[in-house]
Amino acid sequence: MAEDKSRHFYVFPEWTWILRPGIAVAVLGGALYVSLVVYFGFSPKTTDVGYAPEQPVPYSHALHVGQLGLDCRYCHNTVDRAAFAAVPPTQTCMNCHSTIRTQSEKLIPVRSSYATGMPVEWVQVHDLPDYVYFNHSAHVLRGVGCVTCHGRVDSMEVVYQAQPLSMGWCLNCHRNPERYLRPVEFVTKLDWVPEEDQLALGKRLRETYNINPRTDCYTCHR
Amino acid sequence: MSSLREGAGVRYWRSLDELAQTPEFRAMAEREFPGEDFDRLPPATRRQFLKVIGASLGLAGLTACRWPKQEIVPFAHRPDDRTPGVPNEYATSMELGGVALGMVVTSFDGRPIKAEGNPRHPDSLGALSAIAQGTVLQMYDPDRSRRLLYRKGGQEYVKTWEEFGAFARERFAGSGEGVAVLAEPSSSEALRGQRKRFLSRLTGARWYEYDPLSRDNEREGTRFAFGRPLRIHPHLDRVRVIACFDADPFFEHPAALRLARRFVEARRPEGGLMPRLWVAESVHSLTGGRADRRLALPSSQVPRALAAVARRLAEAHDILLPESLRRTCAGASFDADFISDLARDLAEHRGEGVILVGPRQAPEVHALALALNGALGNAGAGVTYTEELDPDRPTHQAAITELVGRMGSGEVKTLLVLGGNPVYDAPRHLGFAEALAKVGESVHLGLYDDETSRSCGWHLPRAHHLEAWGDGHAFDGTWTFQQPLIAPLFAGRSPTELVATVLGDQAVDGHDLLRAAVAERLPETAAEEPWRELLHDGTAVGSAWVEVTARLDGAGLDQAADSLGDRLGMPEPTAEALELVLPPDSKVYDGRYANNAWLQELPDAITKITWDNALVLSPRTARELSLASGDVVRVRVGEDAVQAPVWVLPGLAAYCGTLALGYGRTAAGKVGDGVGVDAYALRSSGAMHLRTGVTLERTGRHHTLATTQNHWAIDTLGFEARSERSRELVREATVERFREEPAVFTEMVEQPPLSQLWEPFPYEGEQWGMAIDLNACIGCNACTVACQAENNVPVVGREQVIRQREMHWIRVDRYFKTPHEVGPADVDDAEMVFQPVPCMHCENAPCEEVCPVGATQHTPDGLNAMAYNRCIGTRYCSNNCPYKVRRFNFFNYHRHLAELSKMQMNPEVTVRSRGVMEKCTYCIQRIENVRITAHNERRPIEDGEIVTACAQTCPTRAITFGNVNDPESAVAKLRQDPRAYTILGELNVRPRTHYLGRLQNPVEAGHDGETGNADRAHGKESA
Repeated sequence: MAEDKSRHFYVFPEWTWILRPGIAVAVLGGALYVSLVVYFGFSPKTTDVGYAPEQPVPYSHALHVGQLGLDCRYCHNTVDRAAFAAVPPTQTCMNCHSTIRTQSEKLIPVRSSYATGMPVEWVQVHDLPDYVYFNHSAHVLRGVGCVTCHGRVDSMEVVYQAQPLSMGWCLNCHRNPERYLRPVEFVTKLDWVPEEDQLALGKRLRETYNINPRTDCYTCHR
Repeated sequence: MSSLREGAGVRYWRSLDELAQTPEFRAMAEREFPGEDFDRLPPATRRQFLKVIGASLGLAGLTACRWPKQEIVPFAHRPDDRTPGVPNEYATSMELGGVALGMVVTSFDGRPIKAEGNPRHPDSLGALSAIAQGTVLQMYDPDRSRRLLYRKGGQEYVKTWEEFGAFARERFAGSGEGVAVLAEPSSSEALRGQRKRFLSRLTGARWYEYDPLSRDNEREGTRFAFGRPLRIHPHLDRVRVIACFDADPFFEHPAALRLARRFVEARRPEGGLMPRLWVAESVHSLTGGRADRRLALPSSQVPRALAAVARRLAEAHDILLPESLRRTCAGASFDADFISDLARDLAEHRGEGVILVGPRQAPEVHALALALNGALGNAGAGVTYTEELDPDRPTHQAAITELVGRMGSGEVKTLLVLGGNPVYDAPRHLGFAEALAKVGESVHLGLYDDETSRSCGWHLPRAHHLEAWGDGHAFDGTWTFQQPLIAPLFAGRSPTELVATVLGDQAVDGHDLLRAAVAERLPETAAEEPWRELLHDGTAVGSAWVEVTARLDGAGLDQAADSLGDRLGMPEPTAEALELVLPPDSKVYDGRYANNAWLQELPDAITKITWDNALVLSPRTARELSLASGDVVRVRVGEDAVQAPVWVLPGLAAYCGTLALGYGRTAAGKVGDGVGVDAYALRSSGAMHLRTGVTLERTGRHHTLATTQNHWAIDTLGFEARSERSRELVREATVERFREEPAVFTEMVEQPPLSQLWEPFPYEGEQWGMAIDLNACIGCNACTVACQAENNVPVVGREQVIRQREMHWIRVDRYFKTPHEVGPADVDDAEMVFQPVPCMHCENAPCEEVCPVGATQHTPDGLNAMAYNRCIGTRYCSNNCPYKVRRFNFFNYHRHLAELSKMQMNPEVTVRSRGVMEKCTYCIQRIENVRITAHNERRPIEDGEIVTACAQTCPTRAITFGNVNDPESAVAKLRQDPRAYTILGELNVRPRTHYLGRLQNPVEAGHDGETGNADRAHGKESA
C-alpha cells in the first residue's frame, strides 16, 4: 500500500480501500437485480395472470360449460353485437335454476337477487384500464376465439385470468393475426385445434374476412 | 396598423385593444400563456429538489401493481331493448316559454347524457340551441332540491308527499274561494286538462299565467290589427326582403332554430331566393350580425323609424295603409338612407317580403308592422297566421299585477306556484315577496329551493323534463310529447302531477295522465302500438295548426294609431338620460339556468363574457361619459339602482346600453349565487324591456370581466415579418361579386405554391374531414355546449377564464369589421362576423412534430388524435399550434365533482386528469362506433352516418363532416365549392377543416366586396 496518498481524491480511511471492488460489484449487481425484479415482477405476466378473486356465488364454469356443455354465448350473449361481453343478468341463471337445485345453499344470492331485483355483485377478473376501449364484437365476429384471450374457461372452477392482457400482448396478435385466427364458427369451441397448419389457415382467413388489424394508438386509446 | 388583416378596404379585429394595438394587447398576444410569469416562480432549493426527485423514484415502481378490485353489477332482470354499454335514444321534449322543443336524448345504461334535436320536430329539425344542450347538466345538479320542505315561524320541516297530500286535501277543498294558482306558460294538453278540472271543481279559484320574458306585445299587436290574438309565423324561405325592427328571429324567437335554418337555406348561392336582411336595432343581436344592412338606433326610436318607412312607402311607392295609421305616420321622419332604401326594397318586392318586430316594442308598433305586411301583400307568403291557443288569456303583465293586488289585500288564502320564480323575476315594484307574507299558505313547485321557495311555506321538488311525462305544442302547433329517460331522482313531480295531487286524485302518475289526455284527442292511441309509435316519433304527424286568413280590423288599428302617435314623439336618449335595454340573457335565459355551469362558462354570443353580465355601451357613449371596460357604475333610473361593470362594444346605438336579465341571483345554488348583477331590479311594470332616463355614476371601483374575446388570437400580429403574412381568416364577398367571379375567395389571399421535402402520405381509404360554412354560421354557440356535453369537457370557473384557460374544444370567434379609414379613436359602429374554430386536424400537423413522447399522432384515417395516457404535459404542442385549439388541464377539474354530476359524463370518452393536453377529436368515439358496426356488418360506411356533436346540433347545418376521399360525400363536394378555403393554409399544414366564405347581399353592390354601407362610414347611421 505504498501508494502516493496525494493522488487519492477521496477522504475515506485507507483500510476501506479493500472494499472498493466489492462495492463496484454490489452496485452493478444491485442495479441489475432491481431491473430484473421490476421487469419480471411488475410485468402484467406476473401481477395479472392467475388473478382469481373470490366471487359472491361459487359459479363453476367447469361444471356449466365443461360438463353441461353451455355455449359461451348462452350467457354472455351481447358479445357479438357490443363492446362488452356482459355478465348475464340473474334471470339467465333462473332460466334453469328456477326448477333445478332450487334449495341449493350456493344459489341463495342468485335467488334473492331475482326476488328483490338487486344485482349479484360479481368481481371483475379481466379488467383493462379505463383509457383502453376494447370491443368484443370486433374480435369475436372476425375469428378470434374466446380461448385465445380467456384461456380454458371450461376447466376453471374459479375463473382466473389466463393471459396478461397487456398492450404488448395485444400487439402480438394485432401485428401477426395469422397465428391466432380461426373460422368464425369455432370461436366458442374452446378445445378447437386447426386441422392444418395454423399459419396457412390464418393467412387464408385473413384474406377471406379482410382482416387488417390496426396497430396505431387510436385503435384502443381514444 | 399594417399588422391587422386588410382586405378590400375593411379591417377585421376582435377587441378595441386589438384595433388600437395597445401595449397591453401586444404583450398579451405575444405570450403563449398570458397571465403566467414563469420567470417569477420562486427558485426551488436544493433540498426541495432532492425531495421531489426522491419521491418520484420511490413511487416509480408502484405503477405496475394491480389496481383495486373492480365489480361488475348486472341487472337482475335485463330489459329487452338494453345491451350493456350500448346507448339507447328516446324522443322527448322540453318546454320554454310555452313552446315545446323536440329532442332525442341518448341514454347510456339508463342515464340520459346527451340531448340532440329531433329531426321530426318542425322547430328543431334535428338541431338544438345552446340552452337546450345545457339542460342535461341541470338534471344532475347537486344543488337541485331533494326534499319537500315546509317553513313556518322561522322553522323548517322536512315533509313527505303523503303529508302534502293531506294538507292539500283540506286546503284545496270546497269551492276554492281564495285559492290562486300562478303558472308558467305551457301549451301542454295534459296540464290544460288538469287546469280545466281544477277550475271546474274549485269554482272560486283563479289561475294566472306569468312569463318574465313575455311575448305579449306581439300578441296584443295582433289583437289591434285583427281584432283577436293570432300567432305570427314568419317564413324566411319564401321572401326576398326581411326587415327586422328590434327583432331577433334567429335567436330570441321560440322557433329560432327553424327560422335560422330556413334563412340560411335560402341564402345558398346556387339556388335560393337570397333574401336581403335589413336590421334596425339598438343593441347587437345575432340577427344583426347576419344583416346585409344594419341601422343602430335607440329602441325608443324604432316606432319612429318604422313609421318613417311607412310614410316613405306611401309617398314614394303608393303602398297605402288604413287611414288612421297613414295619418299618424305622415309626420314621422327619420334621417337615414336606411329608411328610403328599405322602403324601396320592400316596394320592389311586394308580396315577397316580411317585416318583423321584436317583443320589446309596444303592441301598436307590431300592429303597424302587421298593417304594412298586409299592405305590401306579404301576408300569406312571408308571414302567416294561426289562432292562438288561449285567446282569452289576460296578458302576463295584467295577470301578475292582479294577483299581487289580491295577495296584498289578503284575498288569496292559498297560493300554488307551479314552477317559475316570481319573487326573483316579477316586477319588483309590485312587491311579490311582501304580498306573499299576507297569503295564508303558499306552495312552490321548483327544481331548486330558490328565492320563491324560501319565501313560500311549502317547497316541493319538481321533476326535471328528462324525468317527467308531458307534452306541448311546437310553435306551429305540432303536438310534441315528453317521456322521461330516468325515474325522478329526487321524488320530484311535474306540474300536471301536482295539480292532480292537489285535486286529491288517486292516480297521480304522469304517464297515465298524459295517456288519458292524448287518448281524448287521438282515440287510436288507446291501443298499445299507436301509442308507442307516437312516443317513438316524439310528435304527432300533421298536427300543426291550420293557417287562417286574417282581415285587418279598422277599429283596432285606429286604437293602435292613437297609441302610436304618442310613441312617435318620444325623445331621443342623451348622455344625461340614457336608454337601457333589458333583454333575456343568451345563456341563463330568465335566470333559471344560473346554476348551470356549462351555460355560465359559455361565452355570451356577442360580448364573449363568461360568468357575468355587464352594462354594454358603445365606444362613443363610453368616450363621452369617460368610461372604460371594467369600470363599475351605479345605474340609476327613477328610484331603482344597481351597480354594474361597463363593457364597451361597438354596434350599439348612441346613449343606449344593455344589461342582461337573469343574473345576481341569491338562491340559485353554488354555481349561480352572486354571479353578475340583478337587472330585474331595474324593471318596472310599465317598462319591462326598456328603461329611459337612465343615469350612470362612476363608483371608482373596477371589476375584471372574464371574457374570451382576446383569447386565442391567432397570432398573425405583433411582428413585422408576420404581419406581412397576415391573411384573411373570415372571407366575405357580395353575392354579385361571387357570381361574377367565383374564385374571389381563394384569390383573397395570395398563397405561394406549397411544397414539402418529404413524400406526401398517401391517404387512402376513409379519410375524415370537415367543412364549415361561414355563410351559415350565426354565432349561436350551440356547437360549443354540444361538444362540452359529448366529450366531458370540464368547467374551469371565472378565475381560470380570466387567465385564458377555458377548455372549450370548439370556440366561436367573433370579429368586428370596420372600414379601413376608421381608427380606434373614432370607432363606434361595426359589423360582426363569426367563425367557429375546432381543431383543424392538419395533415402536416405542427403539434405532432414536437411532442417529445409521441402522445399526439395521426390516425390512418386522417385524424390528429390524442393518447392522454402518454401525455406528460410539456405543452409544446399547444405552443406550435397556429390555430390555438389545444387545451391544457392545468388542474384536475373533475376532482371535486359531486358523484351526481359524474353521472352525466359520457363513458365513451376518457375523462382527463391534470397535466394532460386535450382538443377536438372529430368525435373519434362516434367515428369508431360507426366504423366497428359497419365493419361487423361487412358494409361500407354511408355518408352522413357519422355526425360529430357540433355538426349535429348546429341549427343552420353550418358544419359538415364526412369522408373526403369519397367524391360523392357532402363534405367532399363542399370542399370543391369555389367558396372553400383554409385558414392559415399558407403555413403548409394542410388542414382537414375547410371554410366556405360568407356572402353578403347588400342593396348597392359594386363597392368591391364591401357591404355598401356608405352611410356607416359617414357616421349617419347611428342616430
